[in-house]
Amino acid sequence: MKQTIYLMAIREALDEELQRDDKVFILGEDVQQGTFGTTTGLVDKFGPERIMDTPLAETAVAGAAIGAAQAGFRPVADMMFGDFMYIAGDEIMLKAAKWRFLHGGKVNVPVVIMAAVGGGMKLGAEHSMIPEAMIMHTPGLKLAVPSTPYDAKGLLKTAIRDDNPVVFFYHKGLLGLPGEIPEDEYLIPFGQADVKREGSDVTVVATSAMVQQSLAVAEQIKDKVSVEIVDPRTLEPFDLDTIIESVKKTGRVVIVDEDTKRCGITAEIGMQIMENGFDYLDAPIQRVAAANMPIAAGFMEEHVLPQPKNIAGAIEAVMA
Amino acid sequence: MKLKNDDLIFMYKTMVRTRKLDEITIKGLQEGKVLAFYHSSQGSEALAVGAASFLRPDDYLWAHHRGHGIGYILAKGGSGRDFLAEHYGKATGSCLGVSGFHFADPENGALGAAGTIGSVFPMSLGWGLAAKKHGRQQVTIACFGDGGSNRGTLHEAFNLSSVWKLPIVWICDNNGMAQYTPITDAYAKDDIADLATGYDIPAVVVDGMDIIAVHEAVQAAVEKARAGEGPSMIEAKTKRFREHSIGSPDVVHNQPRTDEEIAEMKKLDPIITFKAKLLEQGVLTKADVEKINNDAEAEMAEMDQFCVDSQIPDPSILNTLVYAE
Amino acid sequence: MELTQDQLIKLYTLMVRTRKCDELIVNALKSGKAIGFFHSGQGSEAVPIGACTFNLRDDDYLYPHHRGHGIGYMLARGLSPKPFVASHMGRVAQDVEGPTARERGIHGGSGTIGASFVLSAGMGITAKKNGKNQITACFFGDGSANRGTLHEAMNLASVWKLPIVWVCENNLYAQYMPLKDSMAREDIADLASGYNMPGVIVDGQDVLAVHEAVKAAVDRARAGEGPSLVECKTYRYRGHSEGGPDISHYEPRPAKELEEWKKRDPIKLFRENLLQQGVLTDADVERIDKEIEAEAETLEKYADECPIPKPEDPSVLDRLLYAE
Repeated sequence: MKQTIYLMAIREALDEELQRDDKVFILGEDVQQGTFGTTTGLVDKFGPERIMDTPLAETAVAGAAIGAAQAGFRPVADMMFGDFMYIAGDEIMLKAAKWRFLHGGKVNVPVVIMAAVGGGMKLGAEHSMIPEAMIMHTPGLKLAVPSTPYDAKGLLKTAIRDDNPVVFFYHKGLLGLPGEIPEDEYLIPFGQADVKREGSDVTVVATSAMVQQSLAVAEQIKDKVSVEIVDPRTLEPFDLDTIIESVKKTGRVVIVDEDTKRCGITAEIGMQIMENGFDYLDAPIQRVAAANMPIAAGFMEEHVLPQPKNIAGAIEAVMA
Repeated sequence: MKLKNDDLIFMYKTMVRTRKLDEITIKGLQEGKVLAFYHSSQGSEALAVGAASFLRPDDYLWAHHRGHGIGYILAKGGSGRDFLAEHYGKATGSCLGVSGFHFADPENGALGAAGTIGSVFPMSLGWGLAAKKHGRQQVTIACFGDGGSNRGTLHEAFNLSSVWKLPIVWICDNNGMAQYTPITDAYAKDDIADLATGYDIPAVVVDGMDIIAVHEAVQAAVEKARAGEGPSMIEAKTKRFREHSIGSPDVVHNQPRTDEEIAEMKKLDPIITFKAKLLEQGVLTKADVEKINNDAEAEMAEMDQFCVDSQIPDPSILNTLVYAE
Repeated sequence: MELTQDQLIKLYTLMVRTRKCDELIVNALKSGKAIGFFHSGQGSEAVPIGACTFNLRDDDYLYPHHRGHGIGYMLARGLSPKPFVASHMGRVAQDVEGPTARERGIHGGSGTIGASFVLSAGMGITAKKNGKNQITACFFGDGSANRGTLHEAMNLASVWKLPIVWVCENNLYAQYMPLKDSMAREDIADLASGYNMPGVIVDGQDVLAVHEAVKAAVDRARAGEGPSLVECKTYRYRGHSEGGPDISHYEPRPAKELEEWKKRDPIKLFRENLLQQGVLTDADVERIDKEIEAEAETLEKYADECPIPKPEDPSVLDRLLYAE
């Protein structure tokens, strides 16, 4: 194993896949420099033909990637901020997601749409979203939401090799997160949740940065409550089995997510647990998610996005 | 490429087949065989067939949505039967009967057709990018209407196709009407081709009712694209003989188009004018014309029967289509 | 109309104030006082000041360019810089005198580049429907000129003959992307002919040239003759965003380029012009500098004293979401 950080793990995954398959290329606004460091330096090794800086034109970036994917390549489009995916809604939601199905399975769309997501940087309503629900809601798209350097690398490599459109969200608050990864190449299959912490009193289901936040809370309250933390790692495909197994043991569930609460993934996951694991529950499921409003900037951000105290409060409530 | 007599006859035949397939699709809609909707291409056959004839099979083609692309599909060697079966919602359709009215034929470079107007631009940009990266001198033919030209996606894709010198031929089927809105109320100039200047893309305006004029303009652009000289734009002025969508009102804003107006347009019918020209030049005889007509009608009757006889898709296929394994 | 001596001095003073406010936030970010992003507008002061100060009526609509987070536009419109400074420090402005942004037709700035075009088209429709000869001035950069929203909005503005003045602040870079690799042509003004509207190119470092070009476009719009496009050639002195790298693609921007442009600094050029004409004396220049220096110090102190939004009162957020 070797030490790395989250953003380096992402860069390494891109580097290895660019090396392995000459059909892989990256395009997006300022990817040669890399706005968040995830693509920095790759242009020195692979040249500007494969690390393509584009103008500020989100529909063209997404469309060019999706079209080239149909025509035999494996492009990775970096949308910079996850919020900007809304600009390319037709291309991502209607073309990438639907076109295999719509055309009778004749044409695959092996594209990766990646974007920096999430709050913590106080950047306000149009630069802080983690639009998981929008993607998970859309059949035809897959969604990876890594919470550690190890997951980020393994999931991104799998995403690039997948024959389907995969949305890969890297969290801005995790970019510097340290962690260990194997020296040798590895892949992480989609649809396999990971138990990030074992426990016996309560199951916390969390994604992306909320995994790290939940781990910190669990450590703080370990003398009072034994918390098990399950990270689905991909929301489509979604590994319900691992969650149900955990619920059988604990009987109590808290779902933590940074996206908006209303119609958010906490609602979907909660309902799936209800439908498939009701008999194992000893208490109503608790949810922690962003308030039903745009993400406020500056000092007000913390009043919209979930905070450790909300997670601790929900655990306390579900244990009561 | 200099057109030989056989080529001219192929083009004429393909126009006739396009018209007949259009007619049978309309009939199918009226009889309840066609399940979704149909946007007739009558009046723009010269553009479709002139543009898509004699391309390479591996050239990418984004057909214009009028006629749901049939003229382009037939000219490029695609199957009319797959097209019709798809409209009948049958398992033998080009998209296994799940799309309603779309077409995909990857072996012939048709990678799909959109339900949203203007998505042609970024998606064809991607096909053009792939064509350039493949390095096999493929071109991408990307067709849109005057309606589509209003979409912002045009700007992004025209600009990038020029900056990246992609082998794309942008073709505008300007029939003057976007559903019920006339282009005069949707664009401030007479020629949509004038937009191309801003992107350093060479553009020409051609008579879209003249198949030879269309073909020559498109071929010139295709040759440039194959030679690595970047994109071109062709604006073809065409006519839309029918209403926007079969069964919808035939109006300009909310005022009906008049019979006189339509009759005036039909004097320019590209099939009739091309037929007259070929007869005059002795490329075709009256007997040839009759045979072509009869053959096309027989082909359509056979297709119709085939589609009627085909099975409705098994719903179990749906789950297999969402994701590739 | 010829500008009076007082008006010339006002243009100069506003440019200096714009630069000073910009520097204030740049420094406050360095010292950790300011929070979030700042995209400096240093080098392009002549565009907002030249375009807006004497060409717009109080009731005209204005969509500011995002550089400098609109400070030049606000000052040109007679707004107090207090909210600008306080908000960048994460604080709630107090005791703000003078008109609000809304009262001067500024209805917000977008987090997504290129939203300006379509929103301005909406303000243009309003201006036309109001029937009071109002106009809408929309400012955008060379980066947003790549967005498809430009096409949709410019086309409609032209078809509907909307009273809109499109002003491009072309500073040659969109974040790290040089214009030469993002646009097919050198001049963004070349797009205008496709929409049947005038497209003029002007020296964006020359505040009077900007004033004149925008004036002609504003007059045309007010007279009901439809939109125009004015492209101002200018330069961005600093990196895209404070704290970020200052690069072209992934290599440092050429130092020579910055040096050359700084020779044509808009404030310096205009100062020399006014000194030469005798509109200003060296003593005037010194006095103006001192006054603005003092204003900046006061503003900084003022911001320090403004309250942080009360964490115990996040109910303010609920009140923002929907109108009652």
